[in-house]
Amino acid sequence: MTVENKYLLEIKNLAVTYDHVHPPVKAVDGVSLQLRKNECLGIIGESGCGKSSLALGITGLIKGDEGTVTGEIFYKGKNLVGLPESKLKAYRWREIALVFQNSLEVLNPVLKIREQVGEPLKTHYNLSPAEIDQRVVKLLEMVGLDPHWRHHYPHQLSGGMRQRVLVAMALSCDPQLLIVDEPTTALDPLSKNEILRLLQSLQKKLGFTMLLISHDLGVIKKLTSRVMTMYCGRIVEAGLTSEVLRNPMHCYTRGLLNSSPNLFKYKDLWGIAGEPANAAAPNGGCAFYARCCQNGESCSTSRPLLKYVGLERMVACHKGGIETFLRAEGIKKTYRLKNMNVEAVKEACLEIKSGEVIALVGESGSGKSTLAHILVGVLKADAGQIFFKNKKVKGRWATKMLGGMQIIFQDPFSATSDRLRVREVVREPLDIIRWGGKKEREAEVNRVLQMVQLPVDADFLNRYCQALSGGQRQRVAIARSLITRPKLLIADEVTSMLDPSTQANLLRELKGLQNRNGFAMLYITHDLHLARKVADKVYVMYQGDIVEEGVSFEIFEKPAHFYTKQLLQESFRDLI
Amino acid sequence: MAGTYASLQKLLKKCREFSLLGKISLLIILLIFLAAVWAPYISLHSHKISSGPALLPPGKGHPLGTDDLGIDLWAQLCHGARISLIVGFGTAFLAALGGGLVGIIAGYAGGWVDKVIMRLIDIMIVLPDFPLMIVLAAFLGPSVLNIIIVLALFSWVFPARIVRAQILMLKEHSFIKAAETYGAGAWYLLWKHFLPAVFPLMAVNMIRQTGRAIVSEAGLSFLGLGDPTSKSWGLIINHATSFRGIYFTEFWKWWLLYPWLALTLIVLSLAFISRELERIVNPRL
Repeated sequence: MTVENKYLLEIKNLAVTYDHVHPPVKAVDGVSLQLRKNECLGIIGESGCGKSSLALGITGLIKGDEGTVTGEIFYKGKNLVGLPESKLKAYRWREIALVFQNSLEVLNPVLKIREQVGEPLKTHYNLSPAEIDQRVVKLLEMVGLDPHWRHHYPHQLSGGMRQRVLVAMALSCDPQLLIVDEPTTALDPLSKNEILRLLQSLQKKLGFTMLLISHDLGVIKKLTSRVMTMYCGRIVEAGLTSEVLRNPMHCYTRGLLNSSPNLFKYKDLWGIAGEPANAAAPNGGCAFYARCCQNGESCSTSRPLLKYVGLERMVACHKGGIETFLRAEGIKKTYRLKNMNVEAVKEACLEIKSGEVIALVGESGSGKSTLAHILVGVLKADAGQIFFKNKKVKGRWATKMLGGMQIIFQDPFSATSDRLRVREVVREPLDIIRWGGKKEREAEVNRVLQMVQLPVDADFLNRYCQALSGGQRQRVAIARSLITRPKLLIADEVTSMLDPSTQANLLRELKGLQNRNGFAMLYITHDLHLARKVADKVYVMYQGDIVEEGVSFEIFEKPAHFYTKQLLQESFRDLI
Repeated sequence: MAGTYASLQKLLKKCREFSLLGKISLLIILLIFLAAVWAPYISLHSHKISSGPALLPPGKGHPLGTDDLGIDLWAQLCHGARISLIVGFGTAFLAALGGGLVGIIAGYAGGWVDKVIMRLIDIMIVLPDFPLMIVLAAFLGPSVLNIIIVLALFSWVFPARIVRAQILMLKEHSFIKAAETYGAGAWYLLWKHFLPAVFPLMAVNMIRQTGRAIVSEAGLSFLGLGDPTSKSWGLIINHATSFRGIYFTEFWKWWLLYPWLALTLIVLSLAFISRELERIVNPRL
């Protein structure tokens, strides 16, 4: 086997440009991918990211008067780009078949199903009408459709049936490569599952290779082994499906995951902010620049290339994927009491990435607060190292800057001074780091107080903290830590004193920051209901050890450690 | 600084909450203070030179009588109030400020600094202070400033201990830890958090120290270690008691009684005020 033949399909630098519209739209922009035999590759992305254009480009269905296709498509070692239509026809249907996106207009409304499904057979094989009919019956049976439907017109069929017809049509000539474009859109769950099962069993039976295009991550998770994320005609992330869904490394992929309810049903839904950029716009930088929550200077000027960041894992990002804000390694802390040593934290390691909400759960006395205090440098660790944005934390540099790391303490009565006024408490970090003038500081005070839903009138600002309720003081403390616009917030039971409505509003505000600005949070709590709602990842702490860590849907649905199981059981007993 | 100012204002406001005894005490202190300030104007005669016959009982011209040299006692008392108040408040201020600072440093720094300071305080407490004061006063020579320094040297330990305890408690509060994470230095914490928090305590302590200092000064003066050129109350008593056979005569009824009365009044008033302030500042007491 030569190098080129190792893959069934190899695409190099494929570009599809629709140049008959003004301005020309570059729908696919330098996509390269390889597909082995019997493999199933998924392509995900928002609508308009070029997924379907890629499919059309591969099958050679983009005509010269619509747009141009450049690059190389090697099918079994043979370049299809530039082949004349007559030669392409030999490949189409017999070698590469396309299951079109389901809609009425894909099927010819004046042709009966029999004629539609039989059409490729008629063009590719020399068969008599009776033989064709026989094949059509077989095909329809194969896709689980009653053969008598072949005498009806497309509009008389339901959506699920039409999808089966499209699959039958694509499979009519025994193709080696099946490109499936959005197989389940607009289908009810029942027919959706049937189609998925059908595709799965057909692939097993017929052994075709599949390229699955979908924005439904559930479908991707079920059918594919590898997945690629496409944005603005470019591949931004590629990897094994299970890995990518568990641990996305590009902000865009994570955005897609956060927008999908079928991955973890309890979590809140958050779309990706902003509009997809116009791919044709002549910007030299990263296409995702405008919507990215960690964009830097270099991102707007040079285009990131798809690079390996791990085994079977590629990301196109100047920052090597989602940034790691905080990394703690081997944190140890022992409290020496009179006649015993209390090991509060034993060898804890943790990692917080940009835009992640991590819940640290565990019973009281499991060392959660100690760990939090160590992370921000309030306590000294006996051993271990802490890195903020890959720089070792020493002294206070990570907490005393704008956009750094901040902590909110558990007890609001102790966290705010009785003797200071609200305005003084909230302004304190800015006073200490000598940021801006008096007016600017006051404006910032107003901004953060509004964020935590506190009044901003002079009367309230001049009140002493002594005269505030517990919930108000907690919010004042939260406002104080938000005033430096932290990138990472370590929140120790911050909502314990708040009423449900304020708590909900505050958490939504923080989640909003997370989605817009790549704000990350270590949320320490015993409230597992809340953790399940907001957390992307969960760390479970038990007697000073982090006993389990992982993506929240895995921890909450399939806890592995006995303590986690017990914790979840106790917390959710009344509800489930 | 603003915090300290605010506390001061609050303290003044709190004075209105004083009991009757407290208000009377405050009035007495105020009167003595005014007498000291206007001493040259309200005393009819000189407090240094003889202005009439010796040992005149209280009466016309000499409201409180005269001493053995014929110097007016009222004038002496008015001028003596100056010395007493200066010594009292000066010592208290110096002791409370110094002691407070030492306490803050010990409490905040902790570690060996704290240990050294605490041992020093322990030593100061067990030393018999009055004899040592006498020795020191004799060594340094008699002057008002020296007396203030000597007295302050022996009275800073109590404010230091109280303030240190308060700081140790305060240090554990998360708002201090939060301020530290924002990069606050010791100076910032001192002005913004520690001083306002310990100021009421220091103020109460200061007033108590004032009373102590006034008595001590009187004691030193009585022993003849005061500034002989300045007629403080203790010195008047010293003169009176050194008058041979004063107890066999009637002279003590004014010569000794009035300075004693002034001394007792001011010390009692200060004690009442400090108790009153303590009650207000620390409601749990």
